[in-house]
Amino acid sequence: MDKKLLDILVCPVTKGPLIYDRDNQELISCSARLAYPIRDEIPVMIEDEARSLSHEEVEQWRKKQPTSVR
Amino acid sequence: MTSRNDDNNWLDSRAVTRDFDRAAGTYDKVAVLQRAVLERLFERLDVIRLKPERILDLGSGSGAAAAGLARRYRRAQVIQLDIAHGMLRHARRRAPRWFSRQRFVQADVAQLPIAPASIDFVFSSLMLQWVADLPGVFAQLRRSLRADGLIQFASFGPDTLKELRASWAAVDDSPHVNPFVDMHNVGDALVQVGFSDPVMEADTFHLTYSDVHALMRELKQLGAQNGLSDRRRSLTGVQRLRAMVDAYNAAWRQSDGRIPASFEVVYGHAWVPAQPPQQRTADGDVHVPLTSLKKRAER
Repeated sequence: MDKKLLDILVCPVTKGPLIYDRDNQELISCSARLAYPIRDEIPVMIEDEARSLSHEEVEQWRKKQPTSVR
Repeated sequence: MTSRNDDNNWLDSRAVTRDFDRAAGTYDKVAVLQRAVLERLFERLDVIRLKPERILDLGSGSGAAAAGLARRYRRAQVIQLDIAHGMLRHARRRAPRWFSRQRFVQADVAQLPIAPASIDFVFSSLMLQWVADLPGVFAQLRRSLRADGLIQFASFGPDTLKELRASWAAVDDSPHVNPFVDMHNVGDALVQVGFSDPVMEADTFHLTYSDVHALMRELKQLGAQNGLSDRRRSLTGVQRLRAMVDAYNAAWRQSDGRIPASFEVVYGHAWVPAQPPQQRTADGDVHVPLTSLKKRAER
């Protein structure tokens, strides 16, 4: 996932920040509790295509955020 | 070549009509229309001074516009945004030369995933006509743009497919062709969300087809038709379709047997004001400082 692109992307639902999950190729929106898939290196920023995050997942990402966000 | 009949409608954009007819054998006409509109948008850019760092191409489709934008603005990063994943993959394969400055995002313009004040130039060719809430989309785009940013677009106007609309109206009362937003009000919509100096122009392209079915096959590609495929499955649907085709031929068929179809293309551009934004007073007047007027004139 390209850093220059990540810099300008926000969650389409909340306009909140995104966290790049390199391992799972997803963009995490804690504010919307959604994970947007990255397919063929193209971020899919569509609400209906996103995966809902469990409460635990959101908490995990919130803790990691200071080091990994943006 | 189509021999032009004496119908007055053929007077404007003659050159364009000729190009379409010449290309008819090799291209589908929709692609030629898209290319002609792109050329006109680029012509308008020739007289606009702009040094964008980041360009957002809304409804980037095949990637043709983005490739042209990357050539024109050699330092710019071009973000191709489209709702179709296949189109984005195709576009990425299409122009490897420009790949280093091209970015690809799959998104719906109604829910724009772009950070505030991150874009210098929003470009869009023949996509906004499908948007349900145009003022809402403009408001999002306005937020995504930096001060002094530019939006430029082309879209279909209400006279698009007027022949098809009239022919269906002769058959029944339900809408068969998507209504196109009246772009004459678009300038106002742009100002309302905080753009300034909107410029709107319209242009009608006249295409001809061998018959009504050939036109409709192509419209499917454009997404311009409304519920037609469902109707076709029922018997009454078949009868209505035949009645519509008869009405079309009766009213519009040319002496050479071909049928015409109009596409009204509306072009617009508008600026994001330099800070601070214009103040709107209680009586609705917009007060523009003299200094900013001077700045506009220099552009």
